[in-house]
Amino acid sequence: MLRMSWTTFRDHWPIFVGAVVSVCLGVALVQSSLLLLVSAATADAPGSAAAAEGYEVAITLLAMILGVSSFVAVFIVSSTFAFTVAQRRRDLALLRLTGAGRGQVRMLLLGEALLLGLLGSALGILFGLPVMRLETMMLDAFGFVPSGFAGEWRSWIVWVSTGTGVLVALCGVLAASRRASRIRPLEALRETGEGARVMTASRWVVGLLFAGGSVAMMAVVQAVGGEAALPISIFISFTLVIALAALAPLVVPLVSWPFGLLFRGRLGRLAHANLRAGVRRSAATAAPVMVLVGLVAGLSGTLATLTEGTRQESLRTIAADLVVTADRPVGAVLAGIDGVGTVSEEVPVPFQLGWDADDDVYDTTEGLAVDPAAYAATHRVAVTAGSLADLRDGTVALDPGYASEMGWQVGGALHVRLDGTPRDLRIVALLPDTLAGPYFLLPADTAPAGGARRYVVQVDGDVSTVAGRIGEQGLGVVTVDDWVRQTADDEQRTDIDIMAALLGMSTLYTVIAMVNAVVIAASDRYGEFATARVSGLTRGQVVVTALAESLAVVTVGVLLGLLAAAGTVIGIALAVRDMIGITVVAVQWPLLVALALGAAAVVGLTSVLTTAVATRTPPIRLVAARD
Amino acid sequence: MDASPVVELRGVSRVYGRRATTVRALDNVDLAFPAASWTAVMGPSGSGKSTLLHCAAGLERVSAGSVAVAGADITGASDAELTRLRRTVVGFVFQSFNLIGSLSAEQNVAMPLRLAGRRPARREVREVLASVGLADRARHRPRELSGGQQQRVAIARAMVTRPAVLFADEPTGALDTASARMVLGLLREMVDAAGQSIVMVTHDPAAAASADRVVFLRDGRVVDRVEQPTARAVADRLARLEE
Repeated sequence: MLRMSWTTFRDHWPIFVGAVVSVCLGVALVQSSLLLLVSAATADAPGSAAAAEGYEVAITLLAMILGVSSFVAVFIVSSTFAFTVAQRRRDLALLRLTGAGRGQVRMLLLGEALLLGLLGSALGILFGLPVMRLETMMLDAFGFVPSGFAGEWRSWIVWVSTGTGVLVALCGVLAASRRASRIRPLEALRETGEGARVMTASRWVVGLLFAGGSVAMMAVVQAVGGEAALPISIFISFTLVIALAALAPLVVPLVSWPFGLLFRGRLGRLAHANLRAGVRRSAATAAPVMVLVGLVAGLSGTLATLTEGTRQESLRTIAADLVVTADRPVGAVLAGIDGVGTVSEEVPVPFQLGWDADDDVYDTTEGLAVDPAAYAATHRVAVTAGSLADLRDGTVALDPGYASEMGWQVGGALHVRLDGTPRDLRIVALLPDTLAGPYFLLPADTAPAGGARRYVVQVDGDVSTVAGRIGEQGLGVVTVDDWVRQTADDEQRTDIDIMAALLGMSTLYTVIAMVNAVVIAASDRYGEFATARVSGLTRGQVVVTALAESLAVVTVGVLLGLLAAAGTVIGIALAVRDMIGITVVAVQWPLLVALALGAAAVVGLTSVLTTAVATRTPPIRLVAARD
Repeated sequence: MDASPVVELRGVSRVYGRRATTVRALDNVDLAFPAASWTAVMGPSGSGKSTLLHCAAGLERVSAGSVAVAGADITGASDAELTRLRRTVVGFVFQSFNLIGSLSAEQNVAMPLRLAGRRPARREVREVLASVGLADRARHRPRELSGGQQQRVAIARAMVTRPAVLFADEPTGALDTASARMVLGLLREMVDAAGQSIVMVTHDPAAAASADRVVFLRDGRVVDRVEQPTARAVADRLARLEE
C-alpha cells in the first residue's frame, strides 16, 4: 500500500505542492519559534523589569506563531486532501472493487500524508535556520529581546520538527481518509451521486459549532472586559472565520447569486454558471480569501476600536490643559510659573502584584503614584466605592475589573512587592472600569525620588502662552489632546507589533492556500475547458471566462470576510461601551482595500496562468474517445 | 464437474426510492447461473440488467430475496466479508476505466494479490499477462495501451486470483470490432479450457452470441432465455422485447 502511496504522490505532484510548501513553512516556523522560545525561557536573568517583560512578550508571541502556523498548515493540507479524494473517487472505488478493504484505502491516504509530512519536514528543518534568523531580527526590531540574543540549536529539535510535520500532515488527512474509506465499490461502475455532495455532515457540525461558540464568546467579552478583551476578540476572529470557512459550500453559492446581475453577455453568463456549479472549487478558493480578510479586518478593526476607545476615554477623564513630561521632579519649578493652576504629579511605579501570598506567585505590573487631592482636581474620576482622599501611606486605590476574579473590596488587602520588599496595601477606593488605565493608584510616597514622571497641569489664562513659558524652562510640554494621542499609540504599540507579526504570517499562508486552491481546481478542469473550446470558444475567451469567475470568487470571499470581521468588531465595540460607556467603532479602510486588491491580483494571475497551461493541448485530444 | 450453480438468486427484488417515486429495478427474480458456463444477460435500457449484475456480485444490497455466490449466502454479508469475496471468489471487468492509471500493467494485474496480503511472484503475474497475449507490455502504463489492450489487462487482473465467477459489465462496449472479437475469443477460451464461469451483461447481440446462453430481462423480470445463441436469433428476440 505504501508503494501505491508513493506512485500516487509522484504522479499527482502538482496537487500536492501547495500542501508540501505549507507543511515546510509550518515546520520551519514551529522549529524556529520553539528554539527561540526555549532560548528566551532559559536565558540568563535579565537586567531590568522591562527586559523581563520583553522576554515574556516574546515568549507569548512565539507561542502564538507556533499555534497559528500549525493550525493553518493543517487547514491547507486538509483542503488539499479533500480535493484529491473527490478527484480520485473513481480510482479509489476501483481499488475497493478489486479487493481493497476500507482500512486499506485509509492506509493509502495516510501513506500519502506520511510522505507529504516527511518531505515537508525535511525541507522545513533546512528552511528553519534562515527563518530563525528572521524571527530574531523581528523580535529585536520590536524591542522584545536584547540585541545580542540568538536562538541556540538543540539536537532534539530535529525529532520535534519531523514529528510536527508528520503530525500536521496526518491531522490534515484524517477527514479525507475517512471519506475515502466510505467510497462504495459500485462507484467504479457508475456514478452514485454521493460524491457530489460537498456540504458534508462534518462541515455542518463544525460550522454551526464554531458559529455558536463565536456568539457565546462575544457575550463573554462583554461580561469580562478589561485586559482579557483583546485576546478574546482575537480568538473570536479565528472562530468566526473557521465557522464561515466550514459553511463555505453553503454560503458561497448564496452570495454568488447576485453576481448574475453583473455578469452580462455570453461569457459573463458562462462564468456565472461555472461559479455556481463548481461549488467545491469556488468554496475552496473563496475560503482562504475569507480567512485572510476576516482575520486582518477583524484584528485591525479590534485594535483600532480599542485604541480609539482608549483615546476618547482619556480625553473624557482628563480635566486639564497641558501635560509636562520630565525625567526628574520639577514640581517646584512648575508651581513658580505664571498662569499655572493645579498641578498633579504622576509617577509610574512598577511593582509586583501577588496573586497568592502563600504560593509566591507574582506578576509585574505598573501603578501610578499620585497626590490624591491634585489628582482628583485634574481628573474626572467617579470612584465606585470608598474615597480617594484616604489615599496615603500603605494604601492603594484600584480598578477591580483588572482581575475581577480576585473580588477586591474596600478594606481588603493587596499583597505586593515594592522594590523587592513584600508589603500589604489596604484598598481604600475602587476605581471605575477603564481601558486607558491607570488600574492602580498608589500614594505619593511610593514614588522613587528621581526618575521619569509627568505633570498634568491646569492653566489659568491662555494655554499657549503658559505652554510657551513652561517650554522656556527647558521642559517638554504638550497639550492634553496631543499627549493622549501619543500615549494611546504607544500603549498599543506592543499589541500592534504582535498583530503585525501574526497577520504577516497569516497573509503568507493564505496566499499559499489561494494559489493552491486555484492550481488544483484548474488541474481538474482540463476536460471542461476542452469542451468549451470544442463548442466554439477561443482559447483567450476560455481564459477570460475563468478569470472573471475567479475574480467573482475573490469578491465573494472578501464580502464574507468582512462579515466575519464585522461580527468581531461589533463584539469588541459592545464590550467597550459596556466598560467605559463610550460607543466607538473604527475600521482601517486603506488596509482592507489594499488587501482585497492584493488577493484579486494573486488569484487573477494564478487563474490566468493555470488556465493558459490547461488549454495548452489541442482540445480534441482531451475530448475524443480513446482509440 | 460441479452441478450446483455458481451464482444463484432467489426471489430477488431491488427497489429504489420511496412511496410515490418507487422504482422496481428488479422484481422477484429467480435465476441460477450454472458453473463452467458463460451466461449473457440482455434487455432494453432500464430493464434492470446492470442492477442484476450488481446484486449478484454483492455490490448492491437486495431489498428482498437471497443471493448465493459459490455456495455461500451473501445477502446480509458485512463489508469485510464482501471485500474478501472480491479478492478471492469474484472478478470484475467493465466497460472502461478498468485500470489504475498510475500503475503499470504488471502492477495492475498484481493488485488483487497484494491487497489480499500476498507477495505475488513476478513469474505468476507474467504468466497471466501472457495468457491474454500482453507479456511484452507488462511495464506499460494504461495510457500507453489501446482500448482493447486495456480490456485484456483488466481481464488478466480479474483472473489472477482464479475467481469462481467473472462478472463482466459491457466488456466490449467501448471497443472496435477487431478488439472486441479478440476479447470475446479470450473469454471463450477461458470457459472452454479452464471451466471458468462468466456472467456478462451486454447490449450487443454479437457479444451475446459468444455465450452459452442468453437471459432476457424486461422491467426487472426474466422474460426469455436462449441456449446456444446466434447473433441473429438474439437480435430477433431483443427486437421483439422492445415492441
